[in-house]
Amino acid sequence: MGRFGFFDRFRIPTYDDPEQMQFGIVEIDVGKCNGCSLCAGACPADALVIVDKKARMKNAPENACAFCGDCAAICQTGAISMKSPYRFTKFYKTINRVGVSPPRL
Amino acid sequence: MKRNNGIESSDSLKREFTETEKVILSRRSVRQYKKEQVPEFMVRRILEAGRFAPSAGNYQPWKFIVLRDPELIKSLTETVTASCRMFRGMIDYRRKGYSWLRPMTKFMTRLMYRDLHPMPFTAIPLIADGKLDLWHGAPTVIVILKDVRGVSSPDLDCGIAGQNMVLAAHSMGLGTCWVGFAKLALEKSMKWKKRLGISYPYKFASSLAIGWPRGNPDGMIPRQTHAVDWYENGTLKIIS
Repeated sequence: MGRFGFFDRFRIPTYDDPEQMQFGIVEIDVGKCNGCSLCAGACPADALVIVDKKARMKNAPENACAFCGDCAAICQTGAISMKSPYRFTKFYKTINRVGVSPPRL
Repeated sequence: MKRNNGIESSDSLKREFTETEKVILSRRSVRQYKKEQVPEFMVRRILEAGRFAPSAGNYQPWKFIVLRDPELIKSLTETVTASCRMFRGMIDYRRKGYSWLRPMTKFMTRLMYRDLHPMPFTAIPLIADGKLDLWHGAPTVIVILKDVRGVSSPDLDCGIAGQNMVLAAHSMGLGTCWVGFAKLALEKSMKWKKRLGISYPYKFASSLAIGWPRGNPDGMIPRQTHAVDWYENGTLKIIS
């Protein structure tokens, strides 16, 4: 579990520094992708682009993936899998988050 | 749903989610809508779901505005886009040649830390460039206003009412999206507040885009688990 330091509260991270801002990562199975571009339209952060009829994730810092999962849910062929959620530092440090899991019974 | 407390029902609970849970767990924000309008009776039913939401002291501190005129929605979007364009010019230090804005932006971020969180911060340029439509082309918009005189926390009560409406809409096969950026027009613009009659005691809380989704956006996905402190039998365990 994370801890929040006293000075962290006063330091705002630099948003275009990948060291301080790690955005979400989704993985696209190119073999399954049919280039329908539904995922790119669903993405609120404009993090997915269609290159050569295949979806591709933009590189940091242009991608600002919020790990919302809209792309994975809308994908008809199940080509998108969600890898790691965003991790910010300093003032916006994410704490008390443990792992990643689908709904559990 | 039939309520019984027998062993049979708890067994089926362990096997699969209830219908309500399925709506909650598979609801995804929808950002691509068909042009086709939502039937009026469905919007009325959604409003009924909001009307029966729990609120502190049963004060019901909300007022809903339904927007179904494409021109109105379009010109509201234009106002927000123009504001975002202005803000981007003031704060976005990630553009080439604007790194000198960084100290000032960081200072402003410390003051407005909820509005300039990395997520809205990266959304502002997208709206300004027209890459992200405010209500994503939804044919119906419900604006939720809070009564500022409400008991305890009117914002929270509006959130509860809104979530009721959202889940009701998804159970009917509609798509929804919470849109807070509308506040740039409905809270900050005198022109729009006057036009829509938003004045004391009402204040903008949030807004919902509602429409028929393109594709099949609902589905269960992985999410972060959160550490939960669990006190029982005199001890603490942390589950996640």
